[in-house]
Amino acid sequence: MPEFTGWLLDLFEDPREGLVLYFIDENNQRRRLTRPFPVTFYALGSDAELRALWQHFSQRSHKISLGRTQKMDVFKRQPVTVLGITVNNPYEVSKIFHQTTERFPHLEYADADLQISLRFAAETGAFPLSHCHVFMDEGQQLKDIKVIEGAWELKTPPIPLRTLSIKPNVSPHHAQPQFLQVEVGHEQFSFDLATWRPLLINLRALIQRHDPDLILTDWGDTWLLPRLLQKSEKHHIPLGLNREPGRGVSWREERTYFSYGQIVYRGQQIHLFGRCHIDRRNAVLWNDYQLDGTIEVSRITALPLQTAARVSPGTGISSIEMLTALREGILVPWQKQQAEMLKPAADLFTADQGGLVYQPKVGVHKNVAEIDFVSLYPAIMVHFNISPETILSNPDADNIVPALGLAIDTSQDGLIPKALRPLLEKRIELKKHLASTPAWDPFRKNFMRRASALKWLLVTCFGYLGYKNARFGRIEAHQAVTAYGREALLRAKEAAEDLGYEVIQLYVDGLWVQHPQKTYPEDINPLLLEIQERTGLPIALDGIYRWVVFVGSRQNKDRPVANRYFGVFQDGSIKVRGIDARRRDSTPFVANAQMYLLELLASKKQPEDALPEAIIYLQEQIRDLHNGKVSLPDLLVKQRLGRKLEAYRTLSPAARAVLQLQVVGKEMRPGQRVPFIYTLGKPGVFAWDLPQKPNPRKVDVARYQRLLLRAAGIVLESWGIDEEKLSEIILSGATQPRLPVPPRQHPPQHRKKVPGKHANLMKQPVKLRLPALSEHDQSEQI
Amino acid sequence: MNRQITTLLPIPQTGKISLVVAPKAVQHSLMAMLAALALRGRVIVVDGGNCFDGYTLARLLRQQTHHVQAALKQVWLSRAFTCYQMVAMLAELPLDGTPVIVLDMLGTFLDENVNFSKRKRLLDNTLNLLRRISQRAPVAVWARTRSSATDEDEQLLTALLETAQDIWELQPAEMPVHQLPLF
Amino acid sequence: MGRTLPSATQLMHQEEAALSRFRRALRRGDQLVFDDLFTAAQKHISAAAYAAHALPFETFLMSMILEEHKEVVRLRKIVEALQEMHA
Repeated sequence: MPEFTGWLLDLFEDPREGLVLYFIDENNQRRRLTRPFPVTFYALGSDAELRALWQHFSQRSHKISLGRTQKMDVFKRQPVTVLGITVNNPYEVSKIFHQTTERFPHLEYADADLQISLRFAAETGAFPLSHCHVFMDEGQQLKDIKVIEGAWELKTPPIPLRTLSIKPNVSPHHAQPQFLQVEVGHEQFSFDLATWRPLLINLRALIQRHDPDLILTDWGDTWLLPRLLQKSEKHHIPLGLNREPGRGVSWREERTYFSYGQIVYRGQQIHLFGRCHIDRRNAVLWNDYQLDGTIEVSRITALPLQTAARVSPGTGISSIEMLTALREGILVPWQKQQAEMLKPAADLFTADQGGLVYQPKVGVHKNVAEIDFVSLYPAIMVHFNISPETILSNPDADNIVPALGLAIDTSQDGLIPKALRPLLEKRIELKKHLASTPAWDPFRKNFMRRASALKWLLVTCFGYLGYKNARFGRIEAHQAVTAYGREALLRAKEAAEDLGYEVIQLYVDGLWVQHPQKTYPEDINPLLLEIQERTGLPIALDGIYRWVVFVGSRQNKDRPVANRYFGVFQDGSIKVRGIDARRRDSTPFVANAQMYLLELLASKKQPEDALPEAIIYLQEQIRDLHNGKVSLPDLLVKQRLGRKLEAYRTLSPAARAVLQLQVVGKEMRPGQRVPFIYTLGKPGVFAWDLPQKPNPRKVDVARYQRLLLRAAGIVLESWGIDEEKLSEIILSGATQPRLPVPPRQHPPQHRKKVPGKHANLMKQPVKLRLPALSEHDQSEQI
Repeated sequence: MNRQITTLLPIPQTGKISLVVAPKAVQHSLMAMLAALALRGRVIVVDGGNCFDGYTLARLLRQQTHHVQAALKQVWLSRAFTCYQMVAMLAELPLDGTPVIVLDMLGTFLDENVNFSKRKRLLDNTLNLLRRISQRAPVAVWARTRSSATDEDEQLLTALLETAQDIWELQPAEMPVHQLPLF
Repeated sequence: MGRTLPSATQLMHQEEAALSRFRRALRRGDQLVFDDLFTAAQKHISAAAYAAHALPFETFLMSMILEEHKEVVRLRKIVEALQEMHA
């Protein structure tokens, strides 16, 4: 039997040939194989109902066979009798399934509506982009396939993907692109968009000559490919985007949906057959883990590469769970969901909580060790066997969840722990490996990206457990995990305090601790061991901060907030959370300045020594701002449009920008980020994607100055220079006269809002504290 | 200040389904009714709108007794986050005469991600189940009126109206104004 | 997802609101002290959340007393030190 070794690039259903599979073999050939692939879904119901279903089908079609069998129902915790409907041609499954549900809407269904790659992986073990031995016959039919390295292997030979990348020279949402830049092999090309015929002919030639496996684009889903296809049809020049002959590309629609209180927007998608198309601008988390991470997601979730690039980690986790269920012979429910068990309302108060979070003391702390549980929630799910089907309401069992009145059945591995364990172990292994891989190792980036992809999947799996539409979701399991999490954190705190540490901050899965005599990493090990002993869960030292500052909330500087802080580790690296340098909606001008200040502080032994330089730097930045030396893209604010325009009572800046775009015919959907610049006068914003360029003289310089000083104040105030003081110092040193003075802020105690009906009577006359007048600038004070 | 629980709503009775059609503000009165029931014995609450106001219930109970925990233990709660869970929940309820209160009955049926005919069918299932339960136990249902109601939502409400026997419809102007006394 | 009950922070605001008539009738200076008490209670909101009382006001009161006592102990130490200096 002929055979080869290679990688599975793509697989999909075909109207005539069953399953079509594309491989890259080790001799750099591309192979197309087929395989008949009957697909079975199941119906559940009473005997009478199933008999009616049987009769309906046996009178109909030769393409379907039926069989009664027993399959495991995960929630009932026992096998049930089901009717299996096997469709010979996988291409017809969707249609037949939906016809069945319309005709028999009262039945329950399972193993329906599943990606073909999942089924294939469950049956053969071969997942997308796996490295395999492939056996075939002379008719190019797949006979057998054996995976060489499993999805959980750390080291796998790199896939010899041929990539062709296409991008317009500028974002089509911002301006009209003039040409396309194409890169393939080691060559680069530039095609003029004004002349479509030569462009299409040349592009087709390149695709034919290089036969890429992967087409990488910018805006390929939302602009480039639709454009190319439209022009291709108009000029009658087929591009050959698909490898698979006789197929159009696969279009998926754009969607806007509501998730965790936020509106999320997903652009439309274009998938190819026999080749993969990834739009870097529409790929989830591309900035974070790029192609390496996306390949990792594809392999672990058994989703084809094009799908893996575009789905959220939640879908990835769902895929892993379904794959595990299929392998174990457990039914994947189609729509039935488990209701919450009846429980006394008294229990809801303890159960309905999140993780423990302390209010830290605002200000600077020195020599603080940050220790974090490693993937706490997934580790809890695996270690304590938490799964939808392992939750028992009988509290007499000996594995009772603290304070929940529920017990966990530990006699058998639950579905979720089975699904997650390899993921968790691989992440831990990768992290260890990374720790011992030197910075110059070419594989380091690859490991980092893969570790990041795994991290995202792990971070999502807990949320998915409690998600109302999850196939294997269960709110009790979700609550059990948070209960164990709180318990673990409290035990860690107790261990730290028993060993003489002070707990500076506590946050869901980590603590910041301080001990005057324990300032080196080795000193912390006994604590880590003690915590592991008391909780059974792995915990690691993130690092020891030379100093760390906890910042107050945006509204009230004195109110402590758990997730705004910045600090410098002993190795000089900086960690920032929640402030401008880290926020996605901040202006680059401000974010970069804040980051610069942080680096400045980090570079000195004593942060105070950095202050003079910091002031000079800020004065320079402000001078540049006033002199128009700051480039407009650096002044962009990228706010999200939170709701539909009609839903706004007073328009946010983002909404006002969207209105401007509407006038020129550009629609924006809720959930999308709108870039704009703050301008003088009304409406106060200028949308970046308008056809005309903004007038640099109209930039609201005063506003950006305020933003800069506020951001700088956050960083410097722990060393005595807050925003007000900064304004004084900077403005007194400024060389330009007639600078606008920033508006005075009310002293904090008057800014506090008092709830209740009489809040509006709280206004007191506010005394403006005027700064001491300096000698030269009396003219600038009000 | 009135120290008794103001029950705007009468206690439900076995044999018929009592329905209150009112906006969100009626929740307080519902908790008052629930408190009265909890002081007498077990009661089942099916929350179809993630609106169970446990703290208000606790405060109302505290006005009548020191044994707030014991009373809270009499209230057996299940929350449905999808219409499928709603049906599953009602199908599994014990038929032992324990009164059943359903909060925001139609909340989960407004989910536009599920197509309307399917939601309607699931609602019909739910209403059948409620009828069956009401023959053995008192059943009270709250249908929350929303300002954003669509035609389809109206159809669902109509089906519910046709199933209930005792119906109270309250307009926003009729809502009692509450002070929240704590002690 | 699946969170039904308000957070401890929201609860504290509700309790503050419930006391708004009381606060209104206080002298202005006393109102600011009243506000300080709730600010102090904020510091232990996580313990109140974990305690998960059905009637949470007691835990907020405990937090206020806790902070008061910390201040007393702090002042006591200062007074003792001053007394020693002048002894």
